[in-house]
Amino acid sequence: MSNELLEPQKWVERYADMMYRYSLVRVRDPEAAEELVQSAFFAALKSQNSFAGKSTEKTWLFGILKHKIMDFFRSSKNTISIDPTSDKKSGLIKFDSSGHMIQKPGDWKLDPEKTTENNELAQVLAQCLKGLPEKYHRIFVLKEIDGISSEEICNEFDIKPTNLWVILHRARNQLKQCLELKWFQTK
Amino acid sequence: MFSGMMKILKMSCEDVYPLISESQDHTLPFSSRMRLKIHITICGLCQIYKKQLAVICRVAKVIGKEDAKILAESNMKPEAKEKIQQWIEKKR
Repeated sequence: MSNELLEPQKWVERYADMMYRYSLVRVRDPEAAEELVQSAFFAALKSQNSFAGKSTEKTWLFGILKHKIMDFFRSSKNTISIDPTSDKKSGLIKFDSSGHMIQKPGDWKLDPEKTTENNELAQVLAQCLKGLPEKYHRIFVLKEIDGISSEEICNEFDIKPTNLWVILHRARNQLKQCLELKWFQTK
Repeated sequence: MFSGMMKILKMSCEDVYPLISESQDHTLPFSSRMRLKIHITICGLCQIYKKQLAVICRVAKVIGKEDAKILAESNMKPEAKEKIQQWIEKKR
């Protein structure tokens, strides 16, 4: 069962914190992140024979962890199902019969380049994020806040790029509406 | 040619909205890119919307930087590590 190319007794010391942070970014729950690292180590220990030394020990362990994270997201409780075709008429922004906006978007009078200095606005956006449905929240955070690639997110959630774009579009619309209400209308 | 141009110009805000968001996530096909560009040039409302999404994207990055600082200091609880270590020693 043991494999000379691996050093399981050193795994915790070498990789536990790294793997924990990797999981925490994705699942946003310290307990779930801990469980994921634990189950990845257990699975790795059981399948030591599958390690042929083609990658590093670290890459191999992270590969197993990624699978555990995918399983986590795919489990019924965390499933994301999106029907992209149902989106067009269900957005928050209302259009008239000829496709023109009924309510004009508020002019925020903000230069996107200068918003990085605005910590107060960041706090309001963080509050608005909490109001997003769980599935939108998770994906928006990974993509826009943590900077995880679209490809990786699609793999982890087992969704197609078109679904990802729909989710992000909906999330952005909700955030836009929320910011308008909580921030720009009060300024 | 003429009908093609009309199709581009007739694109409504409702059609353009998802494309504005999508253009932040991937490179749109050439035809969509052109339609989007032409529509935005002539539509003030969509220009505002595009700017709003850019603001959200920028502010999200600010939050990201703060989160990364906190995350860099997050470690697994020592007791959890100890538990795994013991299990590995036993099963190895």
